[in-house]
Amino acid sequence: MRDTRTDPAPVPAGALFLTCLKVGSLSFGGGLTGWLHREFVQRRGWVSDDDFSATLAIAQVLPGANVVNLVVCLGEELRGPLGAVACVTGFLLPPVLSVLGLALLFDRLGQFPAVEIAMLGIACAALGMLLQICWLGLRRAKGSPRRLAVIAAVVVGVTVLKLPMILVVLLVAPVSVWLVWRRG
Amino acid sequence: MTDPLWQILWHMVPLSLASFGGGPAIIAGLDVMVRQNGWIAPQDFLHLFAISRAAPGPGTTLATLIGWRLAGWTGATLASLAIYLPSSLVCYLVYRATSRHRDRKWHRAMREGLAPVGTGLVISGSIALIQISGNGWAGPAISVGAFLIFQGLPRIPAVLVLMAGGAASLLLAALS
Repeated sequence: MRDTRTDPAPVPAGALFLTCLKVGSLSFGGGLTGWLHREFVQRRGWVSDDDFSATLAIAQVLPGANVVNLVVCLGEELRGPLGAVACVTGFLLPPVLSVLGLALLFDRLGQFPAVEIAMLGIACAALGMLLQICWLGLRRAKGSPRRLAVIAAVVVGVTVLKLPMILVVLLVAPVSVWLVWRRG
Repeated sequence: MTDPLWQILWHMVPLSLASFGGGPAIIAGLDVMVRQNGWIAPQDFLHLFAISRAAPGPGTTLATLIGWRLAGWTGATLASLAIYLPSSLVCYLVYRATSRHRDRKWHRAMREGLAPVGTGLVISGSIALIQISGNGWAGPAISVGAFLIFQGLPRIPAVLVLMAGGAASLLLAALS
């Protein structure tokens, strides 16, 4: 309903770039959606909370990293194609550079077994964040046989039958959408 | 087609376009890709995963690191573009075309229907990572502990929890 929404005033592409650069540089350990909400909705008031949530839903259903999709959509909303490019480059530049810097550093330190053990612990702790997403998804599916069946079909297809992920998505996603559609 | 740069494009562009479920789906896809092609050892994959989580930004920068292992700086650049550019273009076009239909029935069905598919992909990805994190109990114990902390203290900075995970790993290794 683009026409009935209050069209936000265009934001300069430079401001979008710098804001995304800041989030990209500081968002250690995830929680990026929260960071973006804080900057775009709470601190700067560039988009409303409702618009942010609706955009997030679209970013989540489309393929690709959710937060990257989110900044693409926010950039388009606020400044058109140039805004989308400004947001996504600002957002990704610091993480890509710092991850390569860390890799170079750890390859130097890698011969020390302690570093290897500590890195394994960090990886396992990071896995805790993924477990949280699993938990939230399962909790939303509680009481919905449709959702639970779709989740189970995907897990069985990928983990037990070891089918290619793309094939599983192409088989399950249309059925899942159809089930929602049919219910009305 | 044995050139590593071609390999990166050939495998990562389709993954970018099919990664429903977001970052975890990409990470699970990269894991499968690396194992099936024998690109890097599972332990090294886990090592790169840890680095990608210790850095700021999305965890999908793991793709950048895999590209870097395969073909240096060119590989890192190409892998980043291959994993982010196709999905971003699709997202941009779809967002432009559909944002005026948000309240239509088909749009709602699409959003609601794809959500549990995403959850299933995240669960599959987590299972794959637990399987490669070693056969001891220390790894899963740290994962579950971190999960409980994230769940109980949602405002805690994630970096603190990750550092605690590293310290716990060292402590458990010293005790055993």
